[in-house]
Amino acid sequence: MSSSSLARLLKEKRVLVCCGAGGVGKTTVSASLALGAAQAGLRVVVITIDPSRRLAETLGVSPNQDAPTELSADRLASVGVSPPGSLSAWMLDPALVCDHVVRTVSKSAADAEELMNNRLYKNIAQLVAGMQEYTAVEALHGFVVDDRYDLVVLDTPPSRNALRFLETPHRANGFLDPKIFNLFLPSPDGALQKAAGKVIRKILDLGLGEESRTELQQFLDLFMVILKHLNHNQEEMRNFFASSDVSFLLVTSPNQAAVEEAFYFEQKTRELNLPLGGYILNRSLIREQSLPTLSLNDMPSAPPGVAESAVNKMMDLAAQEDEIIQRHLALGRQLQERVGTSSQLSVLPRLRTDASDLEALVELSHILKGTQPISRHAEASRPSVPPSAAGMPTSQSWFPPKNQS
Amino acid sequence: MTENVPPFERRVHLIMGKGGVGRTTVAVSMAQAAALRGKRVLLTEVGDPEATKSAIGAFFGREELRVEPEHVAPGIDACRLWAEKGQESFARTVLPTGPLVKTALRSRAMRRLMSAAPAFHELGIFYHLLSLLELCGKDGQEQYSAVIVDMPATGHALALAELPKITLQVISRGPLPNAMRRGQAYINNPAVTAAWVVTLPEQLPVTESLELLEGLKRTGVPAAGVILNRHLDNYFSKAEIEVIEGALQDHPVRGTTSFQRIQTADRSSTRLRESTDLPIVQLDNIVNPINGDPSPALANALNQVAGSLR
Repeated sequence: MSSSSLARLLKEKRVLVCCGAGGVGKTTVSASLALGAAQAGLRVVVITIDPSRRLAETLGVSPNQDAPTELSADRLASVGVSPPGSLSAWMLDPALVCDHVVRTVSKSAADAEELMNNRLYKNIAQLVAGMQEYTAVEALHGFVVDDRYDLVVLDTPPSRNALRFLETPHRANGFLDPKIFNLFLPSPDGALQKAAGKVIRKILDLGLGEESRTELQQFLDLFMVILKHLNHNQEEMRNFFASSDVSFLLVTSPNQAAVEEAFYFEQKTRELNLPLGGYILNRSLIREQSLPTLSLNDMPSAPPGVAESAVNKMMDLAAQEDEIIQRHLALGRQLQERVGTSSQLSVLPRLRTDASDLEALVELSHILKGTQPISRHAEASRPSVPPSAAGMPTSQSWFPPKNQS
Repeated sequence: MTENVPPFERRVHLIMGKGGVGRTTVAVSMAQAAALRGKRVLLTEVGDPEATKSAIGAFFGREELRVEPEHVAPGIDACRLWAEKGQESFARTVLPTGPLVKTALRSRAMRRLMSAAPAFHELGIFYHLLSLLELCGKDGQEQYSAVIVDMPATGHALALAELPKITLQVISRGPLPNAMRRGQAYINNPAVTAAWVVTLPEQLPVTESLELLEGLKRTGVPAAGVILNRHLDNYFSKAEIEVIEGALQDHPVRGTTSFQRIQTADRSSTRLRESTDLPIVQLDNIVNPINGDPSPALANALNQVAGSLR
């Protein structure tokens, strides 16, 4: 398997979900994948539910927008995307998604207005950190049912929270069992429920005070309507997540802790029966192992004293990097062994500059797809002796599985 | 206002920052540093003890960490902060102990409400922290003289820090707001609490740490400083940088990645210094070994800085 199978995922899937530990570059990878697909002529949207604003900085979108922002035709053309291909980006805002649901489920605009004036509801985004997960699924559902986009790339929060997002459908289902939910509402039907409801109200009175309990119940009433709507779609989405239209990609950086997180995540995707697309090892230095070191000949016009000390210092750095490269190689082999032949491993280099500009995303997208890079950045990351004839090296030529080596 | 308590001498330390900046490493080092200064330390992290491995535990050679504090190193106890634990403690303090109430609390319905209803999750975590802060030993003294919290990643951390304020905005009377006010007396008090923003000398982490500082202002939790982790010294002279950058344009060489990182680090930390008046604690690029004896190097470095911060 090689990066080219990643290119196939980009063409064949409708949703790609990028998971992994914090700080491994998930957002950058997500954006690069999205860009790669857009270059192939697809209409793509990349969604982040990470509260950080990385994607916004990279793609020039701002928070609190109720719909994705499409990159301008000029910018797209400059990164090799031409119609029908397009690239949009969106930062998920739970409050806006909730408002949207309230408007959808309300009988009239006035009704919606009244609902949205509830004091608790107004603070819903702050009150409910888990709302992100609920609303991410809802937003995704919106993109899946209409056909504005051929591909949705979802950037998830760091994995521990992302797990919650995957499990949300189950949890929402349990909560929304009407028999159970009604206990919390002002007027339950059955005698038994009435009794149970009374006890629970008593508990809430004691815990919150009667006045607040009443308000909470009004809020829960509204919240139930919202959740019911979300839940309906989440059931659908749970099935969808397990379908062949979706693929989960595990992003990791070359450090043991991040790799362990990815393994943990792989196990979780198996438990939840989610289709696993493979691993992406980001920020690896392995492609640099065949580069030369700096020599005096590289700077003929530099003052001799300066050139010499510069070369010496760079040699020190190169020696340090050699050690890092060895560690990265070992880690890569470990990953390849784990991946085996069941899925795939793609390797991305650490970029020279911060991977926050479009040019850098272009470079990564080409490496992901296994096509020839075009930018100046990429030139540096290409080994002088490519181990595979196909241009960019495949992951297996770097990390041959045991039975072949 | 008599809030001139030097940040390291405060009792509660909230360690915040985006994923991957070394938050847990800093929290562990901070705990070691406090223990070296003779404090009775509690080190905590947010997480479901049954669902996730403990990041803090890994530094002390264990996979799991329970919700009850346990001894993990000289002078240091550690535990998880978990919603269910806090919800239970809260319920126990406000409810009569009749069997009916007990049954109701354990019922599926109540469990579901607790786990899925808005803010109950965060309220539980917050209350668990509060009960640990209020924990007293047999002598009537506070059990822990330093409490270090490895907070969740940015968005969730802010939600937690803002919780008392938001809760009091929507609920004004009853035991819950009372608990929130007690919590505020700790976490909004600059004589007691220090929030630290951990970041890396890179472009985006610096941007995000500045955003986090803005967010913190909103919560009323006192920010004490920025911890610039994995600092890199720029030992290249201006002249050297110039010739190297010239040469690299045509010839990529081994060592370039490190060279560029050093230059980026230089630019990023300069920007950080120019953008905030808070003290910046610089930690060298020392890798704390995981699954073994945690390196005391960072703890020692922190204690050296501690002396200078007033």
